[in-house]
Amino acid sequence: MSNDLKIKLTLLDNIIWIMLLFFFAVCAAFVPAFASWNNIVNILYHTTIMSMLVLAQGFVLMSGKFDLSIDAILAFAPGLVILAGTKWLPGTILSNPFVAIALTLAVGALLGLFNGVCVSRLGMNAFMQTLSVSIILRGLTLFLIPLAIFPLDPVYSFIGKARFAAVGNMPAAVFVTFGVYLFFHIVLKHTVFGRNYLATGGNERASYVAGIDTRRMIVMGFVIAGALSAVAGLLTAGRQDSVSNTMGSGMTMLAFAGALLGGTSMSGGKGSSFGMLGGAILLGMFSNALNLLGVQVTLVHAAQGTLIFLAILIDRFRIQLRGALLRKEQLKKLHHAGGAH
Amino acid sequence: MTAPATETMNTPGAGRAGESALRLRGITKIYPGTVALEDVALDVRYGEVHGLMGKNGAGKSTLVGVLAGLIEPTSGTIAVGGRDYPRLTRMQAKREGIAIVTQEPEIILDITVAENLFLGDFPTRGGFVDRPEMFERARELLDRFGLDIGAEFRAGDLSLSERQLLLIIKACYVEDASVVILDESSAPLTRKDAQILRRIVGDLRDAGKAIVVISHSVDELLDVCDRLTVLRDGRTIATRRASDLDRRTLSELIVGDGFTACRTRSDESAPPGGELLAVENLTRWGAFEGVSFTLRRGEILGIAGLRGSGRTEILKAIAGIEPADAGTIELRGRACAFRRPSEALKEGVAYLPEEREAEGLIGIFSIRDNLILNSLAQFARSGFIRGGECDRRAAETFGAVQIRAFSLEQAVEELSGGNRQKVVIGRIMTAGPDVYLLDEPTRGVDIGAKKGILSLICEKIRGNAGVIITSPGLDDLIDICDRILVLCGGRIAKSVARADFDEKALFMDIQGFGQ
Repeated sequence: MSNDLKIKLTLLDNIIWIMLLFFFAVCAAFVPAFASWNNIVNILYHTTIMSMLVLAQGFVLMSGKFDLSIDAILAFAPGLVILAGTKWLPGTILSNPFVAIALTLAVGALLGLFNGVCVSRLGMNAFMQTLSVSIILRGLTLFLIPLAIFPLDPVYSFIGKARFAAVGNMPAAVFVTFGVYLFFHIVLKHTVFGRNYLATGGNERASYVAGIDTRRMIVMGFVIAGALSAVAGLLTAGRQDSVSNTMGSGMTMLAFAGALLGGTSMSGGKGSSFGMLGGAILLGMFSNALNLLGVQVTLVHAAQGTLIFLAILIDRFRIQLRGALLRKEQLKKLHHAGGAH
Repeated sequence: MTAPATETMNTPGAGRAGESALRLRGITKIYPGTVALEDVALDVRYGEVHGLMGKNGAGKSTLVGVLAGLIEPTSGTIAVGGRDYPRLTRMQAKREGIAIVTQEPEIILDITVAENLFLGDFPTRGGFVDRPEMFERARELLDRFGLDIGAEFRAGDLSLSERQLLLIIKACYVEDASVVILDESSAPLTRKDAQILRRIVGDLRDAGKAIVVISHSVDELLDVCDRLTVLRDGRTIATRRASDLDRRTLSELIVGDGFTACRTRSDESAPPGGELLAVENLTRWGAFEGVSFTLRRGEILGIAGLRGSGRTEILKAIAGIEPADAGTIELRGRACAFRRPSEALKEGVAYLPEEREAEGLIGIFSIRDNLILNSLAQFARSGFIRGGECDRRAAETFGAVQIRAFSLEQAVEELSGGNRQKVVIGRIMTAGPDVYLLDEPTRGVDIGAKKGILSLICEKIRGNAGVIITSPGLDDLIDICDRILVLCGGRIAKSVARADFDEKALFMDIQGFGQ
């Protein structure tokens, strides 16, 4: 394969970052104050929660399943833990903020485990299973926390709220996000688990025959999604310094959009951690630009939908272009072979 | 040479016994790298049952594809219903009343038997489906042939055999075809349902329809057919009346001289190694029974048998994919019973799936990632993959199996069938197992790739490992095996050593004729 072709294919495979740069340049030129440091920090900060959910959704998508319960876990996990520490058993170990953080993550992971076991062992359809869990958790959150609980322990809200003056007022949440993405980049690219996980999404039966424990892979996907949703919950609770029953409402579908924008395949087997980060940031950047332009809040959703539509369209073109490039190369090769005779 | 325009349209299904229903002349089909059919002629008359026979790869399925309008011939003409077609599309074939039933019954599982029967031809009244009428007619058809199925049953609850009969009845009576092609459609049938099929075929013949039957079973064809056409290497060898043939002469026509021009295997020496695998009385109910054999290091053991004889199932049982119900397997002198493929792989038993696309490949992965799929754990240190080691081993295998591709990074779904198969074989080789279970490794690949795969097995795979290989045809097995086990109806009928290979005798054994 020629180097020229390799570069073209690499660019095509990372088209999300090209779109991101392009969009940034356009906004920087036309939207006042868009390219300022403060605004960039602002965009990154506002992307953090969504980016956790994008990664959660993207991770499950890679195994060929999906998870509709992530935004419900976002609200339920911190809600339950804070309630336990403040109302049910105040003054016990549950009130310790470090324990509370660990418990929040554990609740998310356990809910994911429940989803995963139901889907992979009991053979339930991922759509129905996670939809039912989503409705149950939202309902329970509403029942348990009719009114917001605040303020929270500063340690508990640290990763959602704190900013570091030394690094241009960058919020802790941004570092957490980048760290998590880096971690999953390594997991997906460089560990046996990651490769087996992607293989399971690419062709479950073939992976099983090849000796991969595919059921465990699927369970792990949901567990990770649950834990990541809980991280998103920590970030949300920290940012608003409270837990409430509306946290994260309606974010699941946008998380799909971010994952797809980032190049994750709906049918499994394909996706990268950094691609999804790009997708999440693009979503955040877009709503930030609309904000700065003074677009009505009520119109933001429709605009976001349009962006998603455009992204899907571009993705279709990308796949066709990729195929065309490869065919051209094949023809070139045939010509060479023909010439040699 | 089109028919005169004044000729009245033939009503499909009208009985004109003795007249020509289908006439093929000079049909040639060339695929890149292989000639599937060469100057084939075929005449099928109304009111006859015409059998089509030949070894695997003789060109039967290509010819059937041409008849049914699924494959476009490179040259030649097809005369059907008094009209000459240089090529027949599926829609034209259907208009001319040609129906085809294949060996894989495709029905819609969640609707009733009656709805499946009348799908596409629903009886209507005033624009609405006339359900009472539909069920009434379905019941009539089912009763007529003594099928013990209710018209209101959910089709998904039927057995494979019953589904197949359903499709045959649909093609013959609901679509009312005048030419019915049964492409190995008796394969999934139970003994009782095969009797019903026989009655249906007789009934169709009496109604003056033309029936083309393709089958691997000599007995079945001699029993039901009026005339038989034998194909070999893409050519028509003979068309004879069934009454002029017996088992032996028909077998000889099919096998031919049985002389393979070029041999892949260069040495004839017996395998040197000690015993590696011993299978004792292995049984999986409904698939195979009391199967015993041993495999030595450096040996290539072939399993020959018709479809449904249990050859795939035996390999799957050893590999732990569909474990056996009874019997023992000893690997390197230790008893083992794998319950899942991962366990077998750990002990050095690797299975090459017969269903390449469904069970063998991750299409959107690169060649490199497919090649190392089985052996990731070998290249990892505490869970982390050593990239350099992976690249080295993948490149090594890539070179050994000679995959034609731009680079290791190309996605597997962009490769041709033969190259994909090499990727699957390469994947197993990378893991370096002790026992290779190769389930039809030459299935669906062209001649060149086939030769490549066979010599790969002889020269690079065999080494110190043991190989068990299955094939629907005998050629490959005779070419490279040290020993062939003949499987018939789920039991081992015979074990033949390389010195005693004789294609005709083996062919008769597979058919279950014995000596």
